Amino acid sequence: MNPAPDAKPPVLNPALSPEKTLRRLFLTLFLRGRSSRGLRKEGAPKSVGSKLALTLVIYAAFGLIALAFHGQPVFVLSVYLHSMTLVFLGMFVASSAGEVLFNKEEADILMHRPVSARALLWAKIGVLVQVSLWLAGAFNLAGLLVGTFSAEGGWLFPVAHALSTVLAALFCTGSVVLVYQLCLRWFGRERLDGLMTTMQVLVSVAVVIGGQVVPRLLFRPGGTPKFSSDSWWVGLLPPAWFAGFDDAIAGRRAGTSWLLAAAGLIATATVLWLAFGKLARDYETGLQALGETVSRRSPRGTRRRWLDVLVSVPPLSWWLRDSVSRGSFVLTTAYMLRDRDVKLRLYPGLAPMLVLPFVLLFQNHSQSAGAPAGAFGGFGLAFAGGYLGMIPLLALSIVKFSQQWQAADIFRIAPIAGPAALCHGARRAVLLFLAVPAWIIFGLVAWSMPGERSYLPLMLPGIIALPIYAMVPCLGGNAVPLSMPSEEAKSAGRGIAMIGVMLVSVVISGLATWAWSGGWFWWLVLAETILVAGLYVGMRASLTSARWDSVD
Amino acid sequence: MLGNASASREAARANPDRANETKPMISLQQLTKRYGAQTAVDSLTFEIPAGQIVGFLGPNGAGKSTTLKMLTGMVTPSAGTATVCGFDLLQEPLEVKRHVGFVPDSGAVFESLTGLEYLEMVAALYAIPRDSALLRIRQFISFFDLSFETLTDKLLGAYSKGMRRKVVITAALLHNPPVVFFDEPLDGLDANAAVGFKALIQTLAREGKTIVYSSHILDVVERVCDRVIIIDKGRLLLDGRPDELVATHQSGTLEKLFTQLTGGAEMERRAEDFAKTFRP
Repeated sequence: MNPAPDAKPPVLNPALSPEKTLRRLFLTLFLRGRSSRGLRKEGAPKSVGSKLALTLVIYAAFGLIALAFHGQPVFVLSVYLHSMTLVFLGMFVASSAGEVLFNKEEADILMHRPVSARALLWAKIGVLVQVSLWLAGAFNLAGLLVGTFSAEGGWLFPVAHALSTVLAALFCTGSVVLVYQLCLRWFGRERLDGLMTTMQVLVSVAVVIGGQVVPRLLFRPGGTPKFSSDSWWVGLLPPAWFAGFDDAIAGRRAGTSWLLAAAGLIATATVLWLAFGKLARDYETGLQALGETVSRRSPRGTRRRWLDVLVSVPPLSWWLRDSVSRGSFVLTTAYMLRDRDVKLRLYPGLAPMLVLPFVLLFQNHSQSAGAPAGAFGGFGLAFAGGYLGMIPLLALSIVKFSQQWQAADIFRIAPIAGPAALCHGARRAVLLFLAVPAWIIFGLVAWSMPGERSYLPLMLPGIIALPIYAMVPCLGGNAVPLSMPSEEAKSAGRGIAMIGVMLVSVVISGLATWAWSGGWFWWLVLAETILVAGLYVGMRASLTSARWDSVD
Repeated sequence: MLGNASASREAARANPDRANETKPMISLQQLTKRYGAQTAVDSLTFEIPAGQIVGFLGPNGAGKSTTLKMLTGMVTPSAGTATVCGFDLLQEPLEVKRHVGFVPDSGAVFESLTGLEYLEMVAALYAIPRDSALLRIRQFISFFDLSFETLTDKLLGAYSKGMRRKVVITAALLHNPPVVFFDEPLDGLDANAAVGFKALIQTLAREGKTIVYSSHILDVVERVCDRVIIIDKGRLLLDGRPDELVATHQSGTLEKLFTQLTGGAEMERRAEDFAKTFRP
């Protein structure tokens, strides 16, 4: 130990700006992630620039879809660009805002420093808007070129669209922050944590579903628009407001376009005023709530009792005879219901899985209306049966990651030979609480459509394959719940497995449709059942023989 | 060691440069924090002058951390008033924050920053010029036996608990605050670092800093602190010099006095009964 410092205290110099420091801090934290605790590798931090560059390249690549709108009017192109921009930004802001705005540990680090809650809020919002604009810029790059070289657009289009994109980014960020502030005001700080998670999940899911549904409402198959700026109902859609801005400056310059642009300006100004002016005081209250450590009665108490009762009575007590599987089942279910980090990755991730079969079903149904019976052969239903099989696969590959992954060492400390029982518990939890309800709801909706009802058995091949789908991520003992750091969740492996399952689903549904029309469907079901049973036994035996690998 | 604490206080008082040492640096008047029907801190009233090391003690859930968080401006009191360095907690919270350092028991840091990035960020929040901050940081890493390479190359998430604690202590003292609150500061520190830290805070108190030291390690509190304040269920139980309190209550040690006051003696009996349940 060296002697204590005896130097004079530093002279305070107000020239350095705490606001700028905070903005730089939150940008760095945002780009690197809040916690590196889970990373095994030590060493210098990754380059912020390279990480961001990759993200921007991906967004720019997505933006190339705008090339398909070449030759369309400015308003149509802009509606598409702003719709997708709002979807991407909405997803980004909704998933980031909770963590950025209300970080629990941050209270202990920053709340006793001489910075006001308002300065913290502005720095965070500044970062959200800044990154939003980078993402929006990358995504709109191709669209800007398309608009510039369109007949209506010209050189004014990039200027107008840049301005409207800034407005859209501010509107999007302001809206999400406003939702948080309103929840804080209406429901109180005591429920802040749970509420934030619910709101984040709901907003993310809504944005994902909106991203799937809205383009189908706006465009006919083949990309022909169903609207213009004169359609009264487009005024109800926020993307049309910002597209109106583009159309007013660089498009038709019609009166209705100016009206839409004015609506966009007023809406953005109102949202910003409410979120950052009127309700900013609530933010300080919310931050303080995170710093409070007083014990409160758990609002989840009743749910826990409900879960305990459920696993202790038949039929679940029969299904979960092994105590390790039962423990893993309860743990996985509890985290799917309660843990913010797991919920934020799980439900927005599942939303496209859930919405796509419904979109296909409704689309198929509307197209087959008036067509001769059997024109579409129920392929949509058969495909949905297999496609929904991806739910357990995706869910298992998400719930194995957690911020509390180090606590999973208890599984290795306990006298358990290998990870099989733990994987079985997690597998059964996602099957029971995610896959089965999704199937029941989808089946009921299909059953309520007279044209589709007769094709319901076509879902069977997908359902029969479900145990295999759910077993795939468990192979090698890789689905131990909550055992890996969240930071490692972004892996290409999951995507490859899902593409594989999707291809298998397409093959199964094709076979099922062919067998249905050929009259040998039930033979196919029988053969598949035997094949699945054999595969399942083999996979299960392989999983049972898996042993813990070394943690290093 | 108690003699050392007294000596440090006497030495601090003997210093003629500190005109404000008799004025309270921290003053609480009926300070209260309620969460709904639950009262976490109940009408606490006491004063702490400059140059004193005060042990702030209490069992788990007594309200210590809540009190410290109120005094550092992190939590708004429900009732009562408090001043720190003469600044009102409610009227001038930013001034209070400028004049205090705080080592929270969580030891939380931004784990995806390097140690140097973190300390530079903290320095900037107090508007310390970068050169001065770097000089200060070098003094601290020299004191704590940290390497500058570690500070610049490794993310805080990869630090050991002790190293992280050293960074948090450095961050609390970087702006040379006149009042410092420590909540379990020795948690994670190795024996040498702990000895050095104790010597550091005694020296800082001699130099006129006011130190509030919250810990469950009572023998350290007894050796280091000039005064102890014991609270339980949010209420003040005892306030005085450790040697006087121990003598008055004829408890022998501060630990025994603490257990007498807060039901710890009952805990010993319960532990014995519980241990018997492990018999085969």
